[in-house]
Amino acid sequence: MLIYENFKAKLINILKFGINPFRKFVSTGEIREDLGLVNSRKPLLENLMSIIEDNKNCIVPIIGNVGIGKTHLYWALKNRMYYHNAIYLSLDEIYKRFFYTIYSEFIEVIGLEPLRNIVNQLVNKWGALERKFGFFHIVDTKKIKQSALKMINHKFEEDEKTALHDIITGITTHQLDPYKKIEAERWLLGEIMDIRELTRLNMMNDLTKNRNAYVMLKLLIENSKLGTILFIDDFESIVKSYPSQDDTDEVFDPSWLYGKEDSPDEILSQKLLRRVLKLQKIDGLRIIITLKSRKSLEDVKKNISKIDEKILNFIKDPLCLSNFEEPDIYELYTKSMKNFLENGNFTKIPTDLFEDYYPLNKKILENIYDISKGNPREILKMLIKIFNEIIFSNKNLSEVREKYENTSISP
Amino acid sequence: MSDVDSYILFDAVNNILNEGEFRGSIISKCIDSSDSIIFSENITISRSEGIKITQGLRVGFEEVTYKRVAFSRKLDYDNNTQDISIEYSILIPEDVMHLYDEGQFSDAFPFTLNLLHTAGLYLRDPKNTINHLDFFKGEILKNPISLIMNGILVADRVVIDHRGDPVFYDCLIVGRDQDEKLKVSYEPLANVDDKVVEYIIILGIEELKI
Repeated sequence: MLIYENFKAKLINILKFGINPFRKFVSTGEIREDLGLVNSRKPLLENLMSIIEDNKNCIVPIIGNVGIGKTHLYWALKNRMYYHNAIYLSLDEIYKRFFYTIYSEFIEVIGLEPLRNIVNQLVNKWGALERKFGFFHIVDTKKIKQSALKMINHKFEEDEKTALHDIITGITTHQLDPYKKIEAERWLLGEIMDIRELTRLNMMNDLTKNRNAYVMLKLLIENSKLGTILFIDDFESIVKSYPSQDDTDEVFDPSWLYGKEDSPDEILSQKLLRRVLKLQKIDGLRIIITLKSRKSLEDVKKNISKIDEKILNFIKDPLCLSNFEEPDIYELYTKSMKNFLENGNFTKIPTDLFEDYYPLNKKILENIYDISKGNPREILKMLIKIFNEIIFSNKNLSEVREKYENTSISP
Repeated sequence: MSDVDSYILFDAVNNILNEGEFRGSIISKCIDSSDSIIFSENITISRSEGIKITQGLRVGFEEVTYKRVAFSRKLDYDNNTQDISIEYSILIPEDVMHLYDEGQFSDAFPFTLNLLHTAGLYLRDPKNTINHLDFFKGEILKNPISLIMNGILVADRVVIDHRGDPVFYDCLIVGRDQDEKLKVSYEPLANVDDKVVEYIIILGIEELKI
């Protein structure tokens, strides 16, 4: 029987396999993060959640410096509000096919079965369950399409009417025509379709067409039982993509070609902003935007007011993400180490091992906090560096600890 | 049978008669040689003026040149002017109809056979037996209506299994319990032995389209 086990030595052995408990310092919208927020940030998350729950349509700005944890906040929010469809979007990546990209993300988030349910509910609402003689269902696709048009036509603008025809045809075909169901489902999932397939479905365009994607997105979000949150990261890139005319010192002035008012970048940004603001018209869609400073928010507001001043009413007071407080670094360290052991299935190691922040110590963490000034990304970079040294160097633990207790750490 | 509260509008056996004009999904069972059934969206019941149904659909068997043939035809019923008398009329509760609606257009059954005209799939009659169950073995037939002993079964589809027994999907069942009280239930699936089936009629879609 084993009556004593040196867990500290065991932990070092595990680390020596080459696994760093702090592997990445940049959070992305693609890789899921399970680690929750530190205590000092919980009130901000609660505040954000209550804004989302109280407002069916809103734009919530979140302000925070680079590396402060804005994207990590997205994952914390998504994990807490699991009963909402949360979509992450980085504006840097989508200038073309804006609505199609959001549609694809939305479909990925909700999954196939809920998508089928939503379209089923829609078709039922449009009269697919009409009963002849009180009992017998008859599929009259033409009648259902007409009734659908009558019911939802007023919700869409003139230029969206052609797209609306396609969308209604796609949904009714998917639900009521078993012989074309497979093609209709591919269309519904946003696959690119050739003209032959579209003709068979009696449609003009697939969902790569921006207008079609927007109409479909609006229908799905408004008829989804769950609320939808769109988290747009780095929103200032909309205004940042064109520098103000006063700051530039260019030999070639674009206004010679494009006129004094707008540069091509400015036109592009305005177009993108207009599309984002169009999303605001979708009932039940809450938009969260992240910005680096209050000034960026003011610039964004200025640009929005040029397009539609009414939208300013939907913009809530910004929530500011500040740097870590000192207790946060200890919490982050302990949580990350516990998480590392749980994920690696090393359950036999007691988690109270980290009460003295083993294999580091309080002094090192204090040092890290002072140098990083509480910026979470900088903290993580330093932790990665120290753990890499513990894992991969030939120095023993006490040497590494001594080094970082006394000397400054460059990230 | 999972009993659900039903709304009995008229029951000749238990002397129930609810006066008024009712709308919804109504099943009325007739007292005639073929136990025909009337499906309708409305019924008017009054002690003085009797029972009236407009734009109903009557389904059953009739005798044509010594043969019994399934029929379904539209009917405006008035018990003062017509010979047919009604045994009971039941308004199916909306929550049961909601379950019935949900079972429709199921993904799992895309290739269902629709018959153009109403036809008898099975009739238990010593002189004029009809039994096409073997012919349709393994097929899915849309809109079956069946009389099983003393109960009516209306389903979205029926499949004849490998033993030649009908399996009904998405069914509404109306029948009498041991105390002769009328009951309504919804069953997603009903496996029925053909020995207890009186008749199965497959409703033609032409009747429903017009």
